[in-house]
Amino acid sequence: MRFNLVLDVPDVPGQLLEVFEPMGRLGANIVAVIHQRDVKTERGTVPVHITIEGDKEILDKVMDALLSKDINILQVDGVLRKEQITTILVGDIVEKDLQDTVSKLNKLNSVKVADLDLKMSDDPKNSATMMVIEADFGQKKEVLENIKKLGAEKGFLVINEV
Amino acid sequence: MKIVILGFGAVGQGIARVISMKKDHLKNKYELKPQIVAVCDRSGAAICESGLDEELLLQTKNDTGKIALYPDYGYPNMDSLQVLDEIEYDCLVEVTPTDINDGQPAHKHILKAMEDGKDVVTSNKGPLALSFQDLADCARKNNVEFKFEASVGGAMPILNLAHETLAGCSIESVYGILNGTTNYILSRMANEGSSYEQTLKEAQEMGIAETDPYQDVEGIDAACKIVILANSVLNMPVTLKDVKVEGISKITSESISLAKKEGLLIKLIGEASSDNLEVSPRLVRQGSPFAVEGTLNVATFKTDLADDITVVGKGAGSVETASAILSDIVSIWKMRNKKNN
Repeated sequence: MRFNLVLDVPDVPGQLLEVFEPMGRLGANIVAVIHQRDVKTERGTVPVHITIEGDKEILDKVMDALLSKDINILQVDGVLRKEQITTILVGDIVEKDLQDTVSKLNKLNSVKVADLDLKMSDDPKNSATMMVIEADFGQKKEVLENIKKLGAEKGFLVINEV
Repeated sequence: MKIVILGFGAVGQGIARVISMKKDHLKNKYELKPQIVAVCDRSGAAICESGLDEELLLQTKNDTGKIALYPDYGYPNMDSLQVLDEIEYDCLVEVTPTDINDGQPAHKHILKAMEDGKDVVTSNKGPLALSFQDLADCARKNNVEFKFEASVGGAMPILNLAHETLAGCSIESVYGILNGTTNYILSRMANEGSSYEQTLKEAQEMGIAETDPYQDVEGIDAACKIVILANSVLNMPVTLKDVKVEGISKITSESISLAKKEGLLIKLIGEASSDNLEVSPRLVRQGSPFAVEGTLNVATFKTDLADDITVVGKGAGSVETASAILSDIVSIWKMRNKKNN
């Protein structure tokens, strides 16, 4: 059988090799690789499309090995593993709040703040920050609820996706 | 069909206008001859058993501001409830100004008409948002029709779409932009990069926002519509106090420009689903069905069989809102005819 994977690989020399290592070691055949370094995600990582072939058992082992190496699997056979959630907070946002908010979000299971953009206003009470958050597929609702809760605690207006 | 119109503001006048415009159409297509037998406003009433003239009603209101000055058939200071007692009629069109605190006087008008065995059409959100179930029960008990398409989304067909056209589907949730004023303000802020205060002022000068914009900008108006959708479409016995409401007055130009960078827009979205009743500013993608500009309204039903169904239309306006009321009148007429045959 075949798996079409989309992986999220840091744009650093040697990373692709890290991805291939378990595939070779466990005996999965690599059918195709698309690696375009100039196409990047928000975090500056490179999405790599790989098709591998082999017995189900071997392919499952490869997936486990990739996960244990902390390699981010975005899609398997076109099904999203990760999804991005964008949110905007408006209010009296100071450095401390930002750090605290990001670390509280990162503490949630499989949630990672991937991008953060801040726009200070003349009136400091009206600053705005936009966060792009990555989470495991299916977790969106829970993450949005948590962001709302955090916003309410700090008195921010939370603008979530529909 | 003898009709009483209570309230002769923009919507009431719109109904007189569309009835006058569509006379031949209604007669040819449905054999419906609507007769306006009484109209009330703050000044009193105009009553005529054999039918008032629509154009003369509009002219009287336009020239004097008082419907009680209608030639020969005017009754200054006559109480609206008394009018309902005095005259023989089939259908009440309740379009008095909305009061979201106690729903009056619309609430007592509607109950009185139903208890007298009359059908009711209304655009009035107040009584629906505060006591939907009581009104629906009263309609059932008295075996009368009660329709309120115009109360949500103005001209945009939404309640009848859910009940008639999508009759075979289960509707799981509704999302929508249900307030034109706030959509206008947010669209202008996104296009011009202007501040909230400045844009609100501009909208007020153009007559799009009211002098007291509170109910629009703080999301109350949209929340009333969410209550109506939740009750009517999702069968949830809820009232206004069950909706979490956040308006747009805290939206800054900074937050809008951050959103734009990511290809997103900020819109005031109402949501009704079995586990959430909410009105709040949300992010929508540019180019998505929710990215409508100006005072347009939009709503999406999530259904089991048909997947997503989205409608867009004018959420306000005199003739536009009256068009929804006229549809209700026609559908009551059809239903009555079917029952009688």
